[in-house]
Amino acid sequence: MAKTYDYLFKLLLIGDSGVGKTCVLFRFSEDAFNTTFISTIGIDFKIRTIDLDGKKIKLQIWDTAGQERFRTITTAYYRGAMGIMLVYDVTNEKSFDNIKNWIRNIEENASADVEKMLLGNKCELTNKRQVSKERGEALAIEYGIKFMETSAKSSINVEEAFFTLARDIKAKMEKRLKEASNPPKGGGHQLKAIEPQRKPPSLFSRCSIL
Amino acid sequence: MMADIDNTADFKKDSNGRNIETVYCAYCSSKILNPGSATFINMNFSLPHMIRRRDEEAEKRELINDYWLVEEINSFENIGVSHKVENVKYLACADCERGPIGWHDLSTFRSYIALCRVKHQKSNC
Repeated sequence: MAKTYDYLFKLLLIGDSGVGKTCVLFRFSEDAFNTTFISTIGIDFKIRTIDLDGKKIKLQIWDTAGQERFRTITTAYYRGAMGIMLVYDVTNEKSFDNIKNWIRNIEENASADVEKMLLGNKCELTNKRQVSKERGEALAIEYGIKFMETSAKSSINVEEAFFTLARDIKAKMEKRLKEASNPPKGGGHQLKAIEPQRKPPSLFSRCSIL
Repeated sequence: MMADIDNTADFKKDSNGRNIETVYCAYCSSKILNPGSATFINMNFSLPHMIRRRDEEAEKRELINDYWLVEEINSFENIGVSHKVENVKYLACADCERGPIGWHDLSTFRSYIALCRVKHQKSNC
């Protein structure tokens, strides 16, 4: 059958256990007496189709399935990944400190040009906060990646985060395609459009206004 | 009885056996399959019940015969895929996570959606 989409992106969620990665991707609604069959066995990955600037994009979003408990993720998990959501919990200092270790793990195992984004989750828990939004922003700037605070529980910024990451991957791919079809000519003009990819992170973090 | 079920399935597929209508989650209306992306197949496979009581030990299963065969997992618009249970992964709604609405065969990479566990509707476009 003909391909019915323009792009397929494999995205990973990475971070310490307990930061709410599972909630960013999955929602478990259980009542006191019943449990759904699916919530018992857990979800491995999801496919989501989004429309991005007129292109149909399939996102394959994978959770680490508990591998992160060993503080390392295997190379197999990273294979083919084009985007990574680094997630920490704003109420857990340690999970924030560990982002550095996760980035090292990514550098060792994932493809060098994988697009990364930093998410400070659980931003609805204002009275338990240990990591300020400014520190999240500063870390993101240090690594040259985008940042957002999210609340999977209150559905704040989760969708926006995935759209942002997908948009950046798409821009990168289209740029590469363009370069491949128009190789720079020696001696000619080599004007390269400077894309406004790295906007100030504050544009993307709406959480604090709530 | 059987004739009724057959008629229902006939109504939902075109002459090539492909789904005429869009397939949605029966609970939250998340879009699962676009028209024409699956083929009707008659087979015996029993799916676990969608809800079980916490105190129930053994999982109850329901024998289902009418499935939409989806050749490639990326043909789904939105789908949740469970962890492995024996040689299959179960399929659930990507939004509300109710399921299983079908299963994914790890040896053939084919997926099957139970007609009776999803909603069929003519799409607007």
